[in-house]
Amino acid sequence: MLRKIYVKEIKDCFRDRRTLILTVILPIIMMSGMVFFYESMISDGEGETYQLAVKESSMKEAELIFSGVENVELIESSNLEQTIKDGNAQVGLELTPSFIEATQNGEEATVTVLGDSFSQKSTQLNAILINALTVFEKTVVAGNLLEGGIDPSIMQPFTIEHKELTNEDPSVDMIAFLIPLILSVAIGVGSGPAASDLFAGEKEKKTMEALLMTPVKRSTLLLAKWLTITTIGSVIGIITLGVVALEISLLTESLKNSVSFGNDAYLIIGIAILFSMIYAAFTASLIMITSIVAKTIKEAGSYSSPALMIPMFPAMIIVGIGINELTTFHFAMPIMNLYTLFKELLFGIVNFEHILIAFGSNIVCMLIFFVIGRILFMKDKWVMN
Amino acid sequence: MIEINEVTKRFKDKKTSITALKHVKFTVEKGQVVGLLGENGAGKTTLLRTIATLLTPTDGSVKVAGYDTQKNPAEVKRRIGVLFGGETGLYDRLTARENLEYFATLYGLSKHETKVRIDELARMFGMRDYLNRRVSGFSKGMRQKVAIARTLIHNPEIILFDEPTTGLDITSSNVFRQLVHQLKRDGKTIIFSSHIMEEVSMLCDHVAMMHKGELVYHGGLEELYKSEGSQDLNYIFMSKLVRGNETYAS
Repeated sequence: MLRKIYVKEIKDCFRDRRTLILTVILPIIMMSGMVFFYESMISDGEGETYQLAVKESSMKEAELIFSGVENVELIESSNLEQTIKDGNAQVGLELTPSFIEATQNGEEATVTVLGDSFSQKSTQLNAILINALTVFEKTVVAGNLLEGGIDPSIMQPFTIEHKELTNEDPSVDMIAFLIPLILSVAIGVGSGPAASDLFAGEKEKKTMEALLMTPVKRSTLLLAKWLTITTIGSVIGIITLGVVALEISLLTESLKNSVSFGNDAYLIIGIAILFSMIYAAFTASLIMITSIVAKTIKEAGSYSSPALMIPMFPAMIIVGIGINELTTFHFAMPIMNLYTLFKELLFGIVNFEHILIAFGSNIVCMLIFFVIGRILFMKDKWVMN
Repeated sequence: MIEINEVTKRFKDKKTSITALKHVKFTVEKGQVVGLLGENGAGKTTLLRTIATLLTPTDGSVKVAGYDTQKNPAEVKRRIGVLFGGETGLYDRLTARENLEYFATLYGLSKHETKVRIDELARMFGMRDYLNRRVSGFSKGMRQKVAIARTLIHNPEIILFDEPTTGLDITSSNVFRQLVHQLKRDGKTIIFSSHIMEEVSMLCDHVAMMHKGELVYHGGLEELYKSEGSQDLNYIFMSKLVRGNETYAS
């Protein structure tokens, strides 16, 4: 009986255009947008040419200073501010007259840099500019010291060696934040209409009364409906992960190089899919309650919207925590563990203790929500308007 | 066949308590067609829902075919078909056939039984032309026919209709009346609530009149005509209500 009700509910749901669009098209659009946005962000700066506006009087000296910098194009300008405002350059540069000669003779010399700290390109060019000027400054100081018979190494009493202990790639960190966020939104938004339709919708259309008049147990009806919502959420989860995996491997270069699972690729993908299915079941239990207590589809939508916003909050907490700082608490908290587990998996870490804690906590919460839903569904007050 | 024994139903919320049924007691024998009459809010729908196991009585009990509605709801549900009027309660994205097949499955009919029964009902209601079309495009009359067919899919012994002709055009109402005659000939037990006195006098052999949750009359229609000295059910109904109000006032 359970199977027959489930098959009917699935057929009914997938004949709904909203479900079909939200199940298939929404994850593809969201994930494609994310993949291409981050691919372009990560590859930003690679092969990029910046435009540096240089005051006419400083042009020759600027050409000498920046002769070794490949990706900076110098643009002669009589009005630096206007050139930047017109979008023809990202940064402006003005040197005092006879800048190189003045620095070599120990005379006062000034560099004026105009930039826009709100522009990413301007900030990047500014960093290149400061770096080039620092190199030039060191060359001038070293020359002056040599002229005075002093070893230039006196200016550098020690060297700093910086060793990076973490292997975290910032681009992977961003993906580890965004994939679970989009996954949770897609599962919630995609299975929401089905959940609303299967309980509040049946009450609104009065099919619930006809259903309750049949000899089928209410628990069986509830289970079949919950399975339907879970299935839709799981399909969305699988499509979402499938799309992101395919697009990263086939359509990107930088992202593909950042995300590398090595020999555990199939295991990691398998765990990710399984966890997204458990998360879909957890979400189904939660939004099922909102639909049971609602009298109409519209009301169910009003109740489920705040519930679907919940995944945003753990995302904000997790984004600032390094992978080595994650504790058992982060894996035991449902919803939050979607982010922490995916973060570990995307960095190629398979920690079975963390996986079991995350799976277990979601299953326990799912069961609690399901039992609450069952208690409500057994009461006439909530089942009939 | 149906024993309603001192049934009281109270609806409570935090502030108020409404008694929808007050010690209602009557019996419906096999093959009887009972018209349930009453104003809006008289308790007709509550009574039908209680018989149909959808509501639990606060006090008293209901037995259907010997089964207590609270102790053996599944046995009661197998023997009852219910149609709440005005609300066809169909799945719009499924075809008429799929709707009927689904409910046949829920009532435990085999594939063969389902096919035979759907053919029978489609012939009875003239639904063959649109049996394989999605319900979403149906007119109200077509929907009502499918909903009645769904009510009868498991060939129930007892049928409850709650204002079944509400919103139907004359043709569809006539189809329904013919159906009740047919079901009466087949020996089915029927209770239906209605505001239309002509319909009740045409179709029923017994009536139950309700006023403010109480049963003010139950008995044969002919006996009622004789005792009231009138054949005008509308007049009798109104005079019963006036007498009922006087009783409440005193």
